[in-house]
Amino acid sequence: MIRMQKGGLDMKLLKIEGDLGYYLNNEGNYSKIDTITKEDLMRLADLTLEKDVEFDENHDEGIKNPAHQIVYKSILKNLKGLENRKQEFKDEVSRLYLSDYEKYQNQSS
Amino acid sequence: MKKIDFHIHTLSTVRDSKFDFDLETLKRYAREANLDAIAITNHDIFDVGQFEQITNALDVVVFPGIEVSMECGHILVISDHCNLSDFNDKAGQVAKKVTRREDCVTIAEFEVIFGDLSKYLVIPHYEKKPAVSGDALKHISSYVSAGEVDCAKKFIRTLKDNQKLTPVLFSDVRISDKLATLPTRQTFLDCGELSLNAIKACLRDRTKVALTQSDGNELFQIFDDGQKLSTGLNVLLGDRSSGKTFTLDKIAQTHEGVKYIKQFDLVQQDNDAYERDFNNELQKDKSQFTEEYLSGFKTVLNDVMYIDLEGNDRMVEKYVSSLLKSAFEAHRKDEFSKVVLFGELEFALKENKVLINLIESVRQVIENGEFGKIIEKHIDRNSLKNLACELIELLWHREYDAKKKNHINSLIREIKQNLRLRSSAVPVEEVDLYRMIVERRKIRRFEKIVKNLQKDGIIAEESIQGFTVVAKKGPFTGAGEIKKASLSKVAFSDVFVLYERPYDYLRALVNKEGLTHSELYKFFAKISYQILNKDGFEVSGGERSEFRLLQEIKDAQNYNILLIDEPESSFDNMFLKSDVNQLIKEISQSTPVVVVTHNSTVGASIGADYIVYASKEHDGGKIKYRLYSGYPSDKSICSIDGKAISNHKTMLDSLEAGHDTYAERRLGYEAIKD
Repeated sequence: MIRMQKGGLDMKLLKIEGDLGYYLNNEGNYSKIDTITKEDLMRLADLTLEKDVEFDENHDEGIKNPAHQIVYKSILKNLKGLENRKQEFKDEVSRLYLSDYEKYQNQSS
Repeated sequence: MKKIDFHIHTLSTVRDSKFDFDLETLKRYAREANLDAIAITNHDIFDVGQFEQITNALDVVVFPGIEVSMECGHILVISDHCNLSDFNDKAGQVAKKVTRREDCVTIAEFEVIFGDLSKYLVIPHYEKKPAVSGDALKHISSYVSAGEVDCAKKFIRTLKDNQKLTPVLFSDVRISDKLATLPTRQTFLDCGELSLNAIKACLRDRTKVALTQSDGNELFQIFDDGQKLSTGLNVLLGDRSSGKTFTLDKIAQTHEGVKYIKQFDLVQQDNDAYERDFNNELQKDKSQFTEEYLSGFKTVLNDVMYIDLEGNDRMVEKYVSSLLKSAFEAHRKDEFSKVVLFGELEFALKENKVLINLIESVRQVIENGEFGKIIEKHIDRNSLKNLACELIELLWHREYDAKKKNHINSLIREIKQNLRLRSSAVPVEEVDLYRMIVERRKIRRFEKIVKNLQKDGIIAEESIQGFTVVAKKGPFTGAGEIKKASLSKVAFSDVFVLYERPYDYLRALVNKEGLTHSELYKFFAKISYQILNKDGFEVSGGERSEFRLLQEIKDAQNYNILLIDEPESSFDNMFLKSDVNQLIKEISQSTPVVVVTHNSTVGASIGADYIVYASKEHDGGKIKYRLYSGYPSDKSICSIDGKAISNHKTMLDSLEAGHDTYAERRLGYEAIKD
C-alpha cells in the first residue's frame, strides 16, 4: 500500500506506479486497482463531482498488467467524463420542483 | 343611432390571404350599408397616404387605426384625427416589430409604444379568435372600451352579462373588388356626435349599443340587402320552390359557424347501414367517456406491458447454473477473474415514485384554495411549505444518488464485459430477484383486474331528452369484435384463443405485428352503448332518427346560427310538438334559429319570434324572389323593397292550405269529436 502524497494542489484519485494502477481508498491511501469495489467507485465519483481532482494519464508504457490495464482505462475514462460534465450532472437533478422549492422557501417563515 | 364598422382591412399583410384593395368597393360598402363611421385597421401597419385617400373619397367619418398582433391576442387601437403623424410614428414602431407571421408584440412593448393608451379607443378581440383573455385582459382593462365579438349570438350573450365588456360587432372585412357580398356585421351606437371621446363614453354604457337601428337587439342583419332576422326563433314559410332552401343555403354560405340540418338528413334509408352508422357515431361521441373509464386500467396495463415472466424464469435458471459452474471451476481463476469488479453486482436502483407522489400531494394541499379554510384549521401552511421543501431536498438527494449509481453501474458493466472477454473463468450471471418477485405479483393483480373488467355490468346511464344512453362493459365475444374496437385491419383470431388468460393474451398482443402498444388497453373488455326509449326498450329505427334530430339541435349550442329545413318531412306531429318544438324554443333563447316549415305544428305552435315568408313573384314579366318579414303579431309583413302582404293570410295559406281548407278541416274535426 502506498501513502498518498501530500502537498499536491489537487487530490489524485488514480495513479500509476511500477507497472500497476492504483486508486485512492477511503483511508487516504492507494490500493491496487484490481481490488476496487462498486462502493469505492461511488466514492471516487463523489470526489470527482465535489472536489478538484487529478488522475495519472494512462500511457502505453505505463501499466503492464493487462487486468489492471482494463480496469484503470475504463475508470479513468469514466471519471474524466464525469469531471467534464460536473455542472450539467448536478443541474439536471436540482431542476426538479425548483420553482416550487424557491416559492415555498421564500414564503415560509 | 349611428352605424359603425371599426374593423376594416385595406392592406394585404403577412397575416392576410392576398387581396388587392379596391376603393370603389369600400365606397359602395359605406353607402349601401348606410355606415356613419368606419375605422381602417390593418394588421400591424398604418399607411397614412392610403388613409388620407380613403378619407377624401368617402362621405363618412373615417378613423385611423391598427390591429396589433399581441402575444395574448389581437387588439384594435383607434385614434382620433388630430395628431395623425404621432399615430403614424407609433404604428411604425409596431410594424418594425411584426414583419413575419409569427412575430408579435408583448403587452409591455405595446404600452411603451403607445404611451398613454387612454387617448385611444382600444378594443381587444373578446369573443373572437385570437381572443385576449385571463390575466392579459385584466392587465389592459383600465384602457379598454369594448370587446369585439364575431356574431350576433355572442353579441347578445355578452351584452346580457354585466360582468363582461360592452360588445361590438364589426365586419373584419378585406375590401377588394372580389368581395362577393357586402358585410352584415356592424354595430349601432346611440350617440350624438361621432368624435372618438363621444364614442368611448357611449361604449361605457352597454345599453347604448345595438344590432339594429330601431329593433334594438331583437333583430340582426342577415343579408347585405338589409334583410334582418330575429336573434331568437324565425319561422321561414313559403310555397314549394319559393326560395326557402335557397335562403337557408345563402345564410350557410355567407355566415360562419352555421349548423344546418338539411331536409331528410336524419331519415333512415337503408336500415342496416343506418343502424351501423348510428352506432358508430354513438361510439365516437362516447369515445371520450370510454377513454376516461379505461384510463385507470391503461395505467395498470402500461406498468405490466413488458413484464416477461418466462424471461425472468430463464434468467434465474441461468444464474443458478452459472453459479454452480463457477463454484465447480473455482480453481481456474486467473488474473482477470480475480479483479473484484469481475463478480461485482450492480447497485440496485429504487424509484422515487412514492416520494414524488408525496411532494405532489403536499403541493396540492398548499395550493388548494377551495378548501383552504378547512386545511388551515388543521394544518399550518408554513409547516406544509417547510415539509414540501424538505421533501424536495430529499428528492434531489435521492435523484442525485440514483444518477451516480446509474453512471457507476454502466462503468461496472463495461469493465466486467472487458474482463470476461479475456478470462477463462465462468462469470456468475446477474439476477434481480426482488424485481422478479414484484413483477410476478403485479401480473397476478393485473389478471384479477382484467377478469373484473370483463364481467358484464352497466357503468353509466345518462338521460337525454327522454331517451337513456346506457354504457355497458363486458367481455369481447369474438375476434371480430376486437377488430372492430381496434379500427384496424389486423385480424385477432390468433390471439383471441388466449383471451381467457389475460397475461398470455397480453404477451400475444405485445408480440403481434401491426398493433400500437398504447392502444392495447382497448382490447381487454368491450365498452358498448345502447339507447333506450321512454319505455326502457332499445330504440326503433324511427326513434333513432328522433334521437339524432334532438342531438343535432342540442349541438347547435356550439354554433352561431341553427338552420332546420322542414323537420316535418321526417317526423310525426306528436314528436314535433312535444320534443322538437320545445328544444328549438330553448335553443333559440341563446342562438338565432331559422326553421323552414309547411307544418302547422311547427309553424304555428312553436311560438316564433319572427316570421319570414319566401315568395316567387312575376314582376314585369320577370321572376322575382322576395322575402317578407315581420313579427307574428304584425298585421302585415314587409319586404326590403317596401311591399307588404297580410300576415294572417300568409300563415293560413302556408300552414293550413288556405282559409277555406282550414275552416273545412275544423268542421270535420268537430263532427267526429264525439
